[in-house]
Amino acid sequence: MMLLIFFILSILLAGFALLSPGKAITKGIAVVFSASLIALAIHAWINTGSTELSYFTFDGTSVLLLSVLALLTLPTVYHGFIYTRYDTLKRFNIYHSGLISLMTFMTGAYLANTMTVLWIFVEATTLAVAVLIYHDRTEIALEATWKYIFICSTGIALAYLGILFLGLIYGRGDTPNLSFSSLSQVAAMADPLYLKIAFVFVVVGFSTKMGLFPMHTVTIDAHSVAPPPVSALISTTLMNVGFLGIFRVYSLFASSPVLPFMNSVLILAGVLSLLVAAGYMLKAKHVKRMLAYSSFENMGLVAIALGIGGQGYYAALLLIILHSLAKSSLFYQMGQLSRILHTFRLDECGRYMKLYPAGGAVLLTGMITILAIPPSGMFIPEFMIFRAMVTGGQWLVLVVSVILLTFVIYAMSTRIMHISFSSPRSEGSTGQPDAVNPAETISQFVLLGLVIAACFYQPPFLVDMISRSIAIFPK
Amino acid sequence: MVNYLIVTFAVTLIYFASAERLSTYVRLIALHGLLLCGIAVFELKEVNLVNLLFIIAETLFFKAMILPWLLGRIIGRSGVTRVHRQAVPGFYLLLFSIAGLLISVSLARILLNPFINTIYLAIALFTLYTGLLLIVTHQLIISHLIGFLVVENAVFLFSLAVGSEMPMLINIGILLDLFVGALILGFFGLKLKPHTNELTMLKD
Repeated sequence: MMLLIFFILSILLAGFALLSPGKAITKGIAVVFSASLIALAIHAWINTGSTELSYFTFDGTSVLLLSVLALLTLPTVYHGFIYTRYDTLKRFNIYHSGLISLMTFMTGAYLANTMTVLWIFVEATTLAVAVLIYHDRTEIALEATWKYIFICSTGIALAYLGILFLGLIYGRGDTPNLSFSSLSQVAAMADPLYLKIAFVFVVVGFSTKMGLFPMHTVTIDAHSVAPPPVSALISTTLMNVGFLGIFRVYSLFASSPVLPFMNSVLILAGVLSLLVAAGYMLKAKHVKRMLAYSSFENMGLVAIALGIGGQGYYAALLLIILHSLAKSSLFYQMGQLSRILHTFRLDECGRYMKLYPAGGAVLLTGMITILAIPPSGMFIPEFMIFRAMVTGGQWLVLVVSVILLTFVIYAMSTRIMHISFSSPRSEGSTGQPDAVNPAETISQFVLLGLVIAACFYQPPFLVDMISRSIAIFPK
Repeated sequence: MVNYLIVTFAVTLIYFASAERLSTYVRLIALHGLLLCGIAVFELKEVNLVNLLFIIAETLFFKAMILPWLLGRIIGRSGVTRVHRQAVPGFYLLLFSIAGLLISVSLARILLNPFINTIYLAIALFTLYTGLLLIVTHQLIISHLIGFLVVENAVFLFSLAVGSEMPMLINIGILLDLFVGALILGFFGLKLKPHTNELTMLKD
């Protein structure tokens, strides 16, 4: 019932936001939506394991990812208010209506308990996020939006083929609703060849959303152009949607003979993601693109963690959660950086710590956090991944990953240091820094603080929920 | 009868590889719509009437009429009539296409399944291959669009192959059609400059 109310309310709020006669009303609508999303997350925690509206279930993974979205909703809305404050009313309304729609569709995707419903909501997120990427109405925004829609649609079509192959594992006369529970019952007895093909299609298809090799390019472009609060969502909660699509199918087939094949595919995709991310980060010239490649690198690690198995399962989910908090705070900070430096080009950035100390502190703390340097909480899952590699005897993957992560750490730290302390290499940007209130960084410090706290203490409810999500996997 | 339609569909795919004029592509896309409509009518005997009518309307009006009309408008705006000045030559594409057909037939035989017609599977795989080939080997945005529509037809054909058992899946495939048709072609297709390959502002 609660979910039905949430969906109806979201549709109404998105519509009202679009037609709102004033910015203050639109702001109120966005805040009401955030409150309803947080209420839904609380409801999901209380009713974990229950099914609503037949097609939605509050299981461990969905509740975790929904909670991350709920945690990010208010900061995203708040930074969105700042980003769009000089927009015309029409554009302001379109932005917030798109944002409400995007978060609603992501919620639907998280909670879906059948492949087809999940797929429909993933497709819907493409539509909503396209509106947001195109927000600035520039040529470059049009290009990014076009690429995003085109490649995502192709990817989604491929994922759909994977779902059709999933459908083929049913026998004639069955009622194939493709729910995860019914699929899990027949997957173990299905033809392994069909399972392998379905998995490959699903990985390639959903990797457009997860930002995993080979379909990663589209998210990189989208990140670099979208408004920073939207980039924060694309880079975290929307990538989590792609992860969930792959994770669901992986979970379904985990008890079948194709598990080693799936692990190999994920490790290969993960290592190649790390390789490409490291290469591009070393030559990055655009701050937001560098952060986008950092997300790509983290998704690669998540894929490797799943592929390695054992402790890797726990690490994958913990990394997904902590990465979402850390990366979103860095992307929120990009909104302030652009108002201070008027550029995202690395050569033109510099002296940020002097110009805006609060922002500089966020950048440095965010850098330490996202690179999983202690006391970052992300150190814990990354350490677990490496320990799982050692336990599993995956020495080659271990060595390659360590080398590539070293490049990533070098590339990112030198660039963030340059932005914070060095003088710009070229004087491309013009104009004085805007006045930016240091209080705008509070939400970023809170999120980063949560990630750092996770290094010392992981609350039992979190550990329990992650353990519940991975209970079906072989030990 | 269905087999004749499917074989005709496969022939049009080979023609896709050798065609040079954009107007030919548009006609082929319209023909695909008609052929898919025929296949749906003959194949989906177990589907209820409302579902069948929905599928016929989708193929006949959307795939065979509206999409070609939108493509025609985009091409008309661009003033470009040929594609191969900015693509792999047609002769090589023809070779790739025939190789793709052989691979698809071999794959379909490997994937033999009692619930799916092998010819369907082979041609669906070949359609997917042709769509991706058009996207990869061509540089024009309009060619990418056409490639995507061919990929979509592959999905549709595949869903028809299992459609007697899963009508719901066909409807979802149709949702994809509507989504892409309305958004990509209707909005972005008309906003971009489709005669160029200038999508190069975003790079590292």
